[in-house]
Amino acid sequence: MMTAQRWRHSARPTAYGVIGVLGLLLVWQWLAVGPLSGTSLPTVAEAIGALVQMLGEGGFWEDTSVTAGTALIGLAASIVVGVVLGILIGTSQLLRFATSAVLEFLKPIPPIVILPIVVLVLGPTTEMTIVLVIIGCAIPILIQTVAGVFDVDPVRTDTARSYGMGRAEILGRVVLPGASPFIATAIRVSAPAALVVTVVAGLLGGGPGLGQSLYQAQTAGDSARMYALIIVLGVLGMVFQAASQLVEAKALHWHESKREVQA
Amino acid sequence: MTTTADITATPVATPRRPRRRSRRIPSWVKWALAVGTPTLLLAAWWTASADSSNTFFPSLEQILTRFQQLWLFDHFLTDVVPSLANLAGGFALAAIVGVGLGFVLALIRPVRWLLEPIIHFVRSIPPVALVPIFITMIGFGNDMRITSIALAATFPTLIATMDGIRSVDGTLKDVSVVYRLTRAEKFTQVYLPAAAPQIFAGLQVSLQVAFIVMIASEMLGAATGIGALTLTAQQSFMIADMWAGVLLLGVLGFVINKIFDLVKARILAWYFGAKEAQRAT
Repeated sequence: MMTAQRWRHSARPTAYGVIGVLGLLLVWQWLAVGPLSGTSLPTVAEAIGALVQMLGEGGFWEDTSVTAGTALIGLAASIVVGVVLGILIGTSQLLRFATSAVLEFLKPIPPIVILPIVVLVLGPTTEMTIVLVIIGCAIPILIQTVAGVFDVDPVRTDTARSYGMGRAEILGRVVLPGASPFIATAIRVSAPAALVVTVVAGLLGGGPGLGQSLYQAQTAGDSARMYALIIVLGVLGMVFQAASQLVEAKALHWHESKREVQA
Repeated sequence: MTTTADITATPVATPRRPRRRSRRIPSWVKWALAVGTPTLLLAAWWTASADSSNTFFPSLEQILTRFQQLWLFDHFLTDVVPSLANLAGGFALAAIVGVGLGFVLALIRPVRWLLEPIIHFVRSIPPVALVPIFITMIGFGNDMRITSIALAATFPTLIATMDGIRSVDGTLKDVSVVYRLTRAEKFTQVYLPAAAPQIFAGLQVSLQVAFIVMIASEMLGAATGIGALTLTAQQSFMIADMWAGVLLLGVLGFVINKIFDLVKARILAWYFGAKEAQRAT
């Protein structure tokens, strides 16, 4: 009885998931040898072969680390820019109103729009990619930081002031912790976005990394390698997502909103 | 574990507290600031770039002239309209498939177990990276663009719909059983409205993804479309044309999102009203 329950709750979804993946591979193989055999779709074996071959190449690992590293550097820079500016704007009512219209305009514009300008000025370089990541990620982090600072209970800041805390101390010990759930959420959403922008910068702007490899595979007509690269990008994307969720949960375990979820 | 919070960036809502601000700023100052700063920024751009000799940064006047010459109305029918038509077609497909499949996956457990790992894997692939696959498979035409847009934009809506329906309040489900609602009634009158806020959050992300993929699908080697024109202008050093393209894409990105906001506010008026009422008590 117990084991049957357990099977129902944990193993069965996994078993179904495995069946689903195998089914997808079967359909893919069938398409590749059957209806779509003349097209660029490689067989499963060809794609996996290309993947295995790629995993043995030094250049591939270099590209992967360049992509991951560039995305992380860009994300780190975005966090610094976004949080610093966000606190500055969030604590000053005048600045908040002055920037609201501009931020409101910039928020829905994706970084790919600015890509031609950045590529023009900086060329197909890692710096170009980093600038593009900052453009894409700093603004959402900034906007969330402003919202978080605004959300801090005024009673808390007043209390801190009446205890004789200075401005810097209030910022560091009251405002920043109070705004941290907003900031953390923004960072969790921005981490996979940073990876996406890095790949886009490589694919469309020629910045070094996996995006560029994908573009080269496309122009060379090497479709097996293209599919292998897509699989790698999917895995990398999942790693970024899982890592950012884990970091958020760990960094905010003390916060009341997270404690509630666990209870 | 995936929730819509992943894609909607809405942090955990803390209860509203009454705000006390010692310094009150008169509302005309707020308005002046909100309107004044962008105006000032544009004026600064205009004057600073007025006699710019830097090839990368032409004068704003020049950019606006090219903007007017290119987009109003020289390339309007040949490039702007097809781009937007692809966007609309791809997004519409994504919305239908996303909401429909989301419903199926939320309500039929074995199907969800079967497909969930695949969905989470595919949605982790940067959406633009799928464009080369469709180019080699379908070519550079509009079919490829709509397919790329639709596929990439499906996932945010799909996942949001799935989460929205799965988190429908148990009491609501019980009540609809008690009232002996038919399946169709349950779907359209209970599940859909209850999940609507989350579905719309997903649709909004889908729209943004669709816009990005629209541009990317045009930048990767196509000859027509706003993105193609903009990138070609950059590669052939027609800098003012490139700036005009960037300007148009930026304005479009903003306007499309605003239109969506308006539609959302209208359809979800009951929901925002209920939230407002809750907050007031």
